Amino acid sequence: MMDALDLHCQMILEEYREALPELESMRVQVLDTLREALERNGLVVTAIETRIKTEESLAGKLALKGAKYATLSDITDILGARIVTFYTDDVDRIASIAEQLFEIDWNNSVDKRRLHQLDSFGYNSLHYICRIPGHDMRFELQLRTTLQHAWAAINHDTGYKSGIEIPQEYMRRMNRLAGLLEMADDEFSRIRSEITDYRRRVQALVQNGKLDDVLLDGDTFRSYLQAKPLDRLNRRIAAINQAEIQDAPLIRYLRVLKELQCNTLGDVSRLIRTYEEDAYRLARHQLGNTDIDILSSAIGLQNICIVCILKTGGGKIGLERLFDALDGHNSQNAEIAEMTYQQAHNIELI
Amino acid sequence: METTIQQSGNQIIASFSGRLDTAAAIPAAEAVKPLLEAENSEIILDCTHLEYISSSGLRIFLSVRKEAAAHGSKVIVRNINADIRQVFMMTGFISLFEIQ
Repeated sequence: MMDALDLHCQMILEEYREALPELESMRVQVLDTLREALERNGLVVTAIETRIKTEESLAGKLALKGAKYATLSDITDILGARIVTFYTDDVDRIASIAEQLFEIDWNNSVDKRRLHQLDSFGYNSLHYICRIPGHDMRFELQLRTTLQHAWAAINHDTGYKSGIEIPQEYMRRMNRLAGLLEMADDEFSRIRSEITDYRRRVQALVQNGKLDDVLLDGDTFRSYLQAKPLDRLNRRIAAINQAEIQDAPLIRYLRVLKELQCNTLGDVSRLIRTYEEDAYRLARHQLGNTDIDILSSAIGLQNICIVCILKTGGGKIGLERLFDALDGHNSQNAEIAEMTYQQAHNIELI
Repeated sequence: METTIQQSGNQIIASFSGRLDTAAAIPAAEAVKPLLEAENSEIILDCTHLEYISSSGLRIFLSVRKEAAAHGSKVIVRNINADIRQVFMMTGFISLFEIQ
């Protein structure tokens, strides 16, 4: 194909070969700049990728429309960057970040999402033609969601270069899918916004002490734990042997708390208040005659659950179920439950 | 007290035998050093022949867990006896480790 190109196109190809080192340096700079900016703004994306158009691909483009370009710098997609996001909102957010990072050639940039008529669906993506300040060469930045990317990739895989070539029957079905994915994208964004609102509402209720208004779930439990409601008990237990406390995740207690009939954060708060003293006594009995001086921050809540089970008649079976829930089912858990039951009995918890 | 390390693919097995008390913790900490650098691995702390563990031993397990998390690795404590399980329970360490 390259031999068939006219002299003008051959010259552009030669220009391309000479520009390759600069293009590679630009590619690395664009990639690093985008990565740093996304990290700085706390944006997590599905993919961020860059590529330099191959000589073969450029020759193909020149063969089709070489006369359109006076020099290599007229071709705006020699260097390409693509960011694939999870959410549609992030496409717009990253676009505004790109506007700060690069000079945007607005005349050649296009928001394909807005090109569609009210009754049409298809390729959706935001294309910015950018320039790194101080560089002559431009590059193309494509921004799209994961679902838009999937549609574009599958559409490309059909082998048809443009919507005009594709047989009408298939075009209709592909566009129907584009509409479906657009709805899914909107719904994902809406779900994310609603979850964020829900977490803010929960945090406000927790901060205002309205714990009975907050149903117990993974999110609300995490919010509640941020107020460190078990710190006092943990510190008392640690003081028994002057132990250090290591942070432990408490999320696995969520299921246990639900089984203990805690439906709201208010229930959890009352559970802690009710059994805190006995939980401490149990720890003192277990640890007092040992030289163990390291504990996990789960110890307080674990002992509260043990005491609650015993005080509410759960017995050894209840303890065994607790250890199964915390540690996975194990034949030794019955033995540990028996031992713990005896210890509780010794200090007249039951 | 003896600590041996075996590697097979991305799985590393550290086997402890005897009593992991304060005195034994120093050579054991030295022996597990290769585990602290392991990237994206499954680290098994095999306690089949471990009879006893002290706070110093728990600290070694904890250091392996911390470094593993930082290096994308996962730690599993395997085959602890009933006495050691009791220690894990009364320290709350059962919430820190996956125990098989």
